[in-house]
Amino acid sequence: MNFKEFQNQSRLYVIGALEAEELEEFEKARKKFGKKAEDYIGECYGLHEAFALSLRPAKSSAAIKDRLMAMVRERKET
Amino acid sequence: MHVTESRTRPFSVAPPVEPGGPSDLELMKAIQAEDPDALSQLYDRYNGILKALILRVIHNEAEADDLLQEIFMEIWNQAKNFSSQKGKPLGWMVTLARRRAIDGLRKKQAYARAEERLQNETEQQPDAWVHNSTEEEIVLSDTRSLIRKVISGLPPAQQQAIDLAFFRGMSQREIAAKTNTPLGTVKTRLELGLKKIYDGLKELKGEL
Repeated sequence: MNFKEFQNQSRLYVIGALEAEELEEFEKARKKFGKKAEDYIGECYGLHEAFALSLRPAKSSAAIKDRLMAMVRERKET
Repeated sequence: MHVTESRTRPFSVAPPVEPGGPSDLELMKAIQAEDPDALSQLYDRYNGILKALILRVIHNEAEADDLLQEIFMEIWNQAKNFSSQKGKPLGWMVTLARRRAIDGLRKKQAYARAEERLQNETEQQPDAWVHNSTEEEIVLSDTRSLIRKVISGLPPAQQQAIDLAFFRGMSQREIAAKTNTPLGTVKTRLELGLKKIYDGLKELKGEL
């Protein structure tokens, strides 16, 4: 696998769309390309951010935040 | 503008922070130092986006609220594992939320029900992203508008394949079975669509 092919596979990898047999080859290439590969994969995770931001924000119940913060403060005190 | 693939600088399409407000990274660092107020601010900033993501996966308001709370609790508990060298805080949170939502979908056996809803949606409108962007919608933020512009520029079949993979956690084989499409075609649609979005986002950086 050359680096261009690795880049293609990386985009599939970050959204979990590689099949098992492809994943094996991908991991081999990932090791071969080292830091360059890790940097590129990290960059591809920007796709996650973009897909989430493409959605219209949804409202959540105010009680959710109250419960969350109560749990966090309780966790911190223990 | 042609965007080469040789650049490896992390990119982010996160919306701008209000003037004078702490950056996401500053909030994450404060959370790592166990400051609850920082989590409160991060929640205010991103609960709507994460809730939308969860809802897009599980299609259940009450379950989405519960999951949202669990996810922010996990953000608090796992904050020490966040490294800015690997990406932006929002990307990390979205990755975490997506994984939890897809796990939740499978564990709670809501899969069949959601599948049925998805089937109905697919029949009505094969493109879920377009489905979400009706004209009646309130005015979109600049960031969202620009991202959607990139996504909506894709052929519907590519959008659908990416939608099923990202928001449903489906493998290529599952997508092929669901859409009655050859596996090779699904792979090509995913590869082409993701590349176009990736390149489009790179170009967007200059507009955000």
